[in-house]
Amino acid sequence: MAQAPKEYSIVGKQTPRIDAYERVTGQAQYTGDLQLPGMLYARVLRSNVPHAKIISIDTSKAEKLPGVKAVIHHENAKVPWSSGGHTHRRYIFNNPVRYVGDPVAAVAATDRHIAEDALKLIDVKYEKIPHVLDANEALKPDAPKIAPNGNLSVGKGAFSAPIEESWGDIEQGFKDADRVFEDTYITKHVNNAQLERRVSIAKWDAGKLTVYASTQGVSNARTDIAKDFALPLSKVRVVCKYMGGGFGNKNQAQDYDYMAAMLAKVAAQPVKLEFTREDDYIGMHGRWASEQHYKVGVKNDGTITAVSLDAVTNMGAYRKQSGNLSGTDFYNIPNFKKVIKPVHTNTVVAANYRAPAYPQSVFGFASFLDQVAFELGVNPLDMFMRNRAQKSKGKLPFTSNYLEQCILEGSKRIGFSEKWHKPGATAGPVKHGIGMALGGYPFRPGLGAATIRVNPDGTAHVLVGVTDIGTGAKSTMAIIASEALGIPLNQIQLTNGDTDVTPYSVGESGSRTTAFTGPAVVAAAEDVRKQIFALASAPMKSKPEELDLRDGQVFRKADSAQRIALGQIVKDSGDLIGRATTNPNFPKEMDGKCFSAHFAEVEVDTWTGHVRITRYVAAHDSGTILNRLTAESQIKGGVVQGIGMAFSEELLIDKVTAIPINPNYRDAKVPTHLETPEVEVIFVEHYDPYGVFGGKVVGEPPITAAVATIANAIFNATGKRFKELPITPDKIVRAVQV
Amino acid sequence: MEDEKKGTRLSRRSFLKGIGGGAIGTAVISTGLVKSDSAEGYSPETSGAGGNRATITLKVNGKAYRVEVEHRSTLAEVLRDELGLTGTKIGCDRGECGACTVIINGRNMYACSQLAVWMQGKDILTVEGLAKGDKLDPLQEAFIEHDGPQCGFCTSGQIMSGKALLMKNPKPNEAQARRGLSGNLCRCGNYNREVAAVLAAAAKSS
Repeated sequence: MAQAPKEYSIVGKQTPRIDAYERVTGQAQYTGDLQLPGMLYARVLRSNVPHAKIISIDTSKAEKLPGVKAVIHHENAKVPWSSGGHTHRRYIFNNPVRYVGDPVAAVAATDRHIAEDALKLIDVKYEKIPHVLDANEALKPDAPKIAPNGNLSVGKGAFSAPIEESWGDIEQGFKDADRVFEDTYITKHVNNAQLERRVSIAKWDAGKLTVYASTQGVSNARTDIAKDFALPLSKVRVVCKYMGGGFGNKNQAQDYDYMAAMLAKVAAQPVKLEFTREDDYIGMHGRWASEQHYKVGVKNDGTITAVSLDAVTNMGAYRKQSGNLSGTDFYNIPNFKKVIKPVHTNTVVAANYRAPAYPQSVFGFASFLDQVAFELGVNPLDMFMRNRAQKSKGKLPFTSNYLEQCILEGSKRIGFSEKWHKPGATAGPVKHGIGMALGGYPFRPGLGAATIRVNPDGTAHVLVGVTDIGTGAKSTMAIIASEALGIPLNQIQLTNGDTDVTPYSVGESGSRTTAFTGPAVVAAAEDVRKQIFALASAPMKSKPEELDLRDGQVFRKADSAQRIALGQIVKDSGDLIGRATTNPNFPKEMDGKCFSAHFAEVEVDTWTGHVRITRYVAAHDSGTILNRLTAESQIKGGVVQGIGMAFSEELLIDKVTAIPINPNYRDAKVPTHLETPEVEVIFVEHYDPYGVFGGKVVGEPPITAAVATIANAIFNATGKRFKELPITPDKIVRAVQV
Repeated sequence: MEDEKKGTRLSRRSFLKGIGGGAIGTAVISTGLVKSDSAEGYSPETSGAGGNRATITLKVNGKAYRVEVEHRSTLAEVLRDELGLTGTKIGCDRGECGACTVIINGRNMYACSQLAVWMQGKDILTVEGLAKGDKLDPLQEAFIEHDGPQCGFCTSGQIMSGKALLMKNPKPNEAQARRGLSGNLCRCGNYNREVAAVLAAAAKSS
């Protein structure tokens, strides 16, 4: 085990974001706020048919419109988009088009209204191809083929299909069971719906492409762009300083970055390409819908002996991400088997959205376990406690695991044992219910880099490639630097998100920022501290190893009264540079995970089908919490997204025309202030030996258990099991009136 | 009179966006909160060959700006593109999310759903106008202390709705604060924090 946690100066405190001032005064410059001299505005035309060959595209009228400077489409801008599709080759404009929303053309003009006008002047002639919208239909042999090899989405490596995983002996596991249950749970496509619409600004200077992107990762955006435009990395610069949310759908570079770059090239002027809100809903991706068929073997006391999962996930027209389902991760399952088929349909693409493989399958599996507990006459709290994960995949120990404490502390806070009652037992039309579920997310350190410059006055400048998508990553990096350096936070400046200036970062997705870049910041701090102590050795009349630095003061460990301000030590030394590229070892025979136990109380009005969450408690094991203020916000926010997924969100597609009919906030019904309860957050804080200062991860875990928690509370209230999301008032009214 | 105003607003909105959803969306998300009084007469000077541009005087944060705008330009577009006041964000451009909320004549409104030419003679306050020199508005300070912004994209709008509420009701209770902010979406789900910040600012100003 690594060292025990020491007393920290700033880690673990409630620290306001380092850029909060900029964010509350309107000074923070998001990508869409930037204006470049001579900049054009661009808009995208999308297919209005689900599957068709483009016979002709006539842009002559659009090109003649005064102010239009460039029109691109599949004939004159055949740019591959490698990360946009792993099953079949995807371009920024595709022919055939494969879903309503597939980009057909983009226009750049002197202002955005002219660009919008020009879209209406483009004449596209389609030859329709039969289409398929339903994932099960798509797997039938006579279904229209969306990918050349059929609709089971078989890509390479991580994108192969079906996704299969097993351990133990599944047949024996079912034989060992006292009872075996089977059921199917269904989840729908929901959009990430971050507030900042996609926007990209591109310009070319002497063969060098600069993209001001709204991305969750400048480094991998640069890699993507360089690859697909066949440019060396040195000829691509990607910048993202402030970012208005992404939740997984602004990873890397996306087609709109490429379109902006192509338009800028054709027009020989900088181009700002803006998505509309509708573009944002249909033109990128949402969470994959799923149909999950479970078979669970249990002992009469509730102990799981075996679980099998057969599922299809609807990936839409292109396979951008895994399509996996991992909600069984938080349980002890001695014998396990899953087969998941990611499927192509002529619908909006599905890919990463906060904890991509989790909330939909945590909903399925934790709902089903809650149901099995009911059938066995076991209290859900006992059921979840009994089957909580103690080993990963039936055998590997976790680097740290305080799931038991999460269950204990959370259930105590909400009073689960006292408040739980027989499902549907409340008298009267408004029924009370209480429910719970387990969640979490993988944690694993990885490749990161950082540079720290100590200025001649003793202040420091941290350079990291991270973008801050709202998690507080910039603040977290500055806090880690402050703690590791021994320099107060207010004397630390941070530059982030610019590939010409800042070093590599993995990309702010998958809850990896702290775990990957954090260790590099610590190592860079150690590097520069060595240089400081070497310099301080003479004036302090000490060996370097006898010195320490805290609060900007260099002092003798043996006698902290003997101290010199850091600014004095380094004033004549130019800049001291600390740097590090790190990839911490992680043992193969272990697994890392964050855990959570969520609890909710609801009131279900059985006359209207309206559900009010009256209390919500989220208990999390994320290791040491580096900044309690921003970490708590993350937990609260993840729960709110889960509330939307549980109650209302679903991208509806018209069965006849295949047109998405609610691609906007009003009709997709994202949660507002009015339906959000106070989310009480408990951190079960324990040092993880493989985390930075003992911290694991925070960003993705909170959404994982939320949907199932609410669904289980509704079951406890009504005695009715809802097996399909979203749990809308009409479904509730219909169920309780039967 | 009120009905007549609403009728005018709907038709102008429809004209504005070519989509009815925007107008209805406003009504659903924030009935009665973000009102429009934009139907009052205006007489911008028309200019340009096609007669589709006008020169107007905008009073923003106490300063008068004379700008030439397209008739179809929204206040949000003009604030951002012409005046460089990019603190006002555009999240949906169809009256649903509230990222563009500004205060017009004392009331919080969606700037994406107001034509700039309607703004002649109106008093407009944006997030940039809240601080007095280096001194932040107490609501801005509370947003910092209570971690009001996650990604920060909705923050300006949340603050402006909070400010409009506090101007009308300096001591809101929690339910009133939620209601006052309910026309402002936050996809980061930071609603607890935003409400707490408004209540803290109200408590501080006592």
